[in-house]
Amino acid sequence: MNNISKWLVGTLLFAAFFVSAHQQKTAFSTVLFNPRSENIEIMHRFRVHDAEHAVKQILGKDADIINSKKTQNQFGNYVHQRFNLFDSAQQHLPLKMVGVELDGKFFWVYQETTQPTKLDNMTIRHDALRDLWPEQVNTINVEGKGKLQTLSFTDSVELLTLTFEH
Amino acid sequence: MFKQFITIAMLSFATISSANAAISQTKGDFEDKFRQLDESLPTPNVYRNAAGEPGHEYWQQQVDYKIRAKLDEENRRIEASQDITYHNNSPDTLKYLWVQLDQNKFRNDSMSAMTTTFGGIGNRGPATSSASSTKPAQLSLGALRRQQFTDDNVLGFNIAAVKDKKNKSLKHTIVGTNMRIDLPVHLKPGEKVTFSIDFDFNIVEEDAVSARSGYEHFPDDKREGGNDIFLLAQWFPRLHAYTDYEAWTNKEFIGRGEFTLEFGNYDVELTVPADHIVSSTGALQNPKNVLTSTQRKRLKEAEKADRIVFIVTEEEALENEKAGTDKSKTWKFSAKNVRDFAWASSRKFMWDARGHQQGGNDQPLVMAMSFYPKEGGDLWKKYSTEAVIQTLEVYSRFSFDYPYPVAQSVNGPVGGMEYPMITFNGPRTELQDDGSRTYSQAEKRFLIGVVIHEVGHIYFPMIVNSDERQWTWMDEGLNSFLDGVAGREWDPTIPWGVEPRDIVSYMKSSNQVPIMTQSDSVLRLGPNAYTKPAAALNILRETILGRELFDFAFKEYAQRWKYKRPTPSDFFRTMEEASGVDLDWFWRGWFYSTDHVDISIDKISKLRLDTKDPDIDFNRLRQEELDKPMSFTDERNKAEGKELWVERFSDITDFYDENDRFTVTNKERNKYNKFLKDLKPWEKVAFERAVKEDKNYYVLEFSNKGGLVMPIILELTFADGSTENQYIPAEIWRRTPKAVNKMIITEKDKELVSVTVDPRWETADVDINNNHYPRQIIPSRIEAYKSKKRKAKVYRDIMQDIKTELKTDSGGDNDDNQDNDE
Repeated sequence: MNNISKWLVGTLLFAAFFVSAHQQKTAFSTVLFNPRSENIEIMHRFRVHDAEHAVKQILGKDADIINSKKTQNQFGNYVHQRFNLFDSAQQHLPLKMVGVELDGKFFWVYQETTQPTKLDNMTIRHDALRDLWPEQVNTINVEGKGKLQTLSFTDSVELLTLTFEH
Repeated sequence: MFKQFITIAMLSFATISSANAAISQTKGDFEDKFRQLDESLPTPNVYRNAAGEPGHEYWQQQVDYKIRAKLDEENRRIEASQDITYHNNSPDTLKYLWVQLDQNKFRNDSMSAMTTTFGGIGNRGPATSSASSTKPAQLSLGALRRQQFTDDNVLGFNIAAVKDKKNKSLKHTIVGTNMRIDLPVHLKPGEKVTFSIDFDFNIVEEDAVSARSGYEHFPDDKREGGNDIFLLAQWFPRLHAYTDYEAWTNKEFIGRGEFTLEFGNYDVELTVPADHIVSSTGALQNPKNVLTSTQRKRLKEAEKADRIVFIVTEEEALENEKAGTDKSKTWKFSAKNVRDFAWASSRKFMWDARGHQQGGNDQPLVMAMSFYPKEGGDLWKKYSTEAVIQTLEVYSRFSFDYPYPVAQSVNGPVGGMEYPMITFNGPRTELQDDGSRTYSQAEKRFLIGVVIHEVGHIYFPMIVNSDERQWTWMDEGLNSFLDGVAGREWDPTIPWGVEPRDIVSYMKSSNQVPIMTQSDSVLRLGPNAYTKPAAALNILRETILGRELFDFAFKEYAQRWKYKRPTPSDFFRTMEEASGVDLDWFWRGWFYSTDHVDISIDKISKLRLDTKDPDIDFNRLRQEELDKPMSFTDERNKAEGKELWVERFSDITDFYDENDRFTVTNKERNKYNKFLKDLKPWEKVAFERAVKEDKNYYVLEFSNKGGLVMPIILELTFADGSTENQYIPAEIWRRTPKAVNKMIITEKDKELVSVTVDPRWETADVDINNNHYPRQIIPSRIEAYKSKKRKAKVYRDIMQDIKTELKTDSGGDNDDNQDNDE
């Protein structure tokens, strides 16, 4: 029961629900094993329009993803809190928030962490926007460690694991 | 030698064509990326010819409707009756007719409702998420609201009567969202039948069920009980299309795949509360009965106005929404040659209009109009009607003059949806605590963008009548491409349209389906049916065909299929046939496969033509030898001052110390002269010229890592700092789709130092790291971000900074207003 009341509060955020022949509710992220920096770099690309509606739901109607640096950083933190990497031992890889960037019709959020010395598989959680609109689809391309692998966070999927070939 | 070459070429040709004769390549791994599409496309026939044009016996049905409908505001119901005249223009005799009952989708026992998966993919509307290892299942309040709404309200059509002309009941069978009406007398080709349907239904609350129409309630309005905006679409039983390629297109309406309809003429009478304003498909037939003389005068004035004219002003609308009435009025509309009919009604609407004088013979004057409540406010006043007119200008240039008397944009609960002559658009202003209404820059962009997009749909698919139930991309892809063109002509500083680079992340991802996938089965509809086809068309226009050929072919497609029903093959064939360019490889790669573009430049070798003249060539060889780095042993011996044996004893040298192995003798010279003498005259001319010019020959080696064949666009940079672009058509890949070599010849003084593939990012190449030779370090976005100066103007919080007071000289305190970016 306790659980139920908690999620009810959580979902009160669904004020105005909105369909459009126009809106995509789709985000793409790249998880890049960068050999130069020896970091895992995470680059999330959201559509500005999705982000705009998201910040109004999360932060209130004065939020402005285009003109307010504060809103941009708050949205960055929102994403930062909803994206996690776990190593082969299911341990959290501590992610550092690098920054956010508005680029045309896209809004980018950057994170990074040091590459672990040994990594046979990796588990990812990507809940950003999915807690606002469950039909949000987040697609992740994992690059720079063997063949490109794609993970799609959709439906009820919360954690996805990929295995690296050596 | 030459003969031998021909034989080899012929042999390999024969191998390839015998491979093509079979359906699949069963030996080796050759894949014919240029294989003609003919066997994949439907066989051309008298209805759709091989050029992609309507064939000489093209036909389509016609369905005319006379509808009398009454909006029961209090109960939010529609009660109506309609007379339908069905013209059978097909060569077939019809025993029954199929009718669409889209409202039945909202019934609890519909296929749509019963197959809604919990937390399912691709549903429109309030979604849910199922349990995971860390969270219990979530049923959103939205989903609860929908559930409660469908429980509390009887939804779906109530078909009260289906009767023939003599008022005799016709047998009808309801199958989900479809209804079959059995005809007592078979309908022969060329004949028509008239029958009537009496129906009623409860209107859905759009916000509760996420439909493409419905009512929206405004509880806070001054009128007791509030007000509603009613958007009516899919609101009457509509005939299914009967086509030459699919017969009855009676696929159940599940929700995603939209509508396939017949053209016809509509006469519609809408009885609504007397204080409502109605916006509708069609031309208003009885303005004297429903509009005041002031409103009619303003409408007339708007026809030639430069800026919008208010037919109903904001003040009038605000006054109107305070009260209600028991009286009613009947608005009569007539629409010719439309495939559907939608309307909106509310006492909240203000109404603005401006005439679009497009000239031409078809429809010199189009009234662009917008209807919106105070919640739309200044955002709508400023941009809605303007965006409608701009859309008409741009789209008509790419297709045909807008053929209808009105083009409208209506604000209501629907985010964005299109119908003939009328569109529903969602963006609004925000009410602030001080009572003012403001809107964000994103909302402004969204309004302009969505109006362009939805009004654009009046062309595609409302006039170029593609089958939305089957192929979302045919209207959404084409329209997303064109709305990008229109948007950029509105204001290029607003990021519009689809750049090839935008689709790269999707195209390289490993879980996707081809564009040519039926709408209800598409996994990620946005990138699949909107962005990828729009990017493909953008590339086709800007890179493959060029604007002149593309625009000609695209316009040809639009004009061929105006008021007709194209299929994907008609589009593919027309674009190819009208441009005169074989595009089968392009359709195959972009629309029929999930390949992506990744062209890599792997290696460049430099070649130099031998002159055959020993006095030149031997010298060059000697120089090459001298240019090699000296051996460390020799160099260090020298440094140590080691005296060489041959230097110590000069008498032990001989002829070979004077003449190295590159010394030329007459033996070589004679051979050279004989070579020259044996050359045929044309060979001699060619040879001597080549020797004289002494050009640089470079062999560039490319590999195709993504599978999708595309032109190779090269930027060549030379030692003198100059650059040159080269365009190698995609056909270079036709025999070896995985790797090709290309020779580039430059003038002697044009020495190549580097090469970049696709320097302008116009082919959607997913990996630019391998686009440079020599390789370059391409920073990742994070690396680029970190190195960027963090004081970019876009980071200024101008809204905050603008409140800063100007300081006087006497102030003298430290500049506390300096940028403090991290």
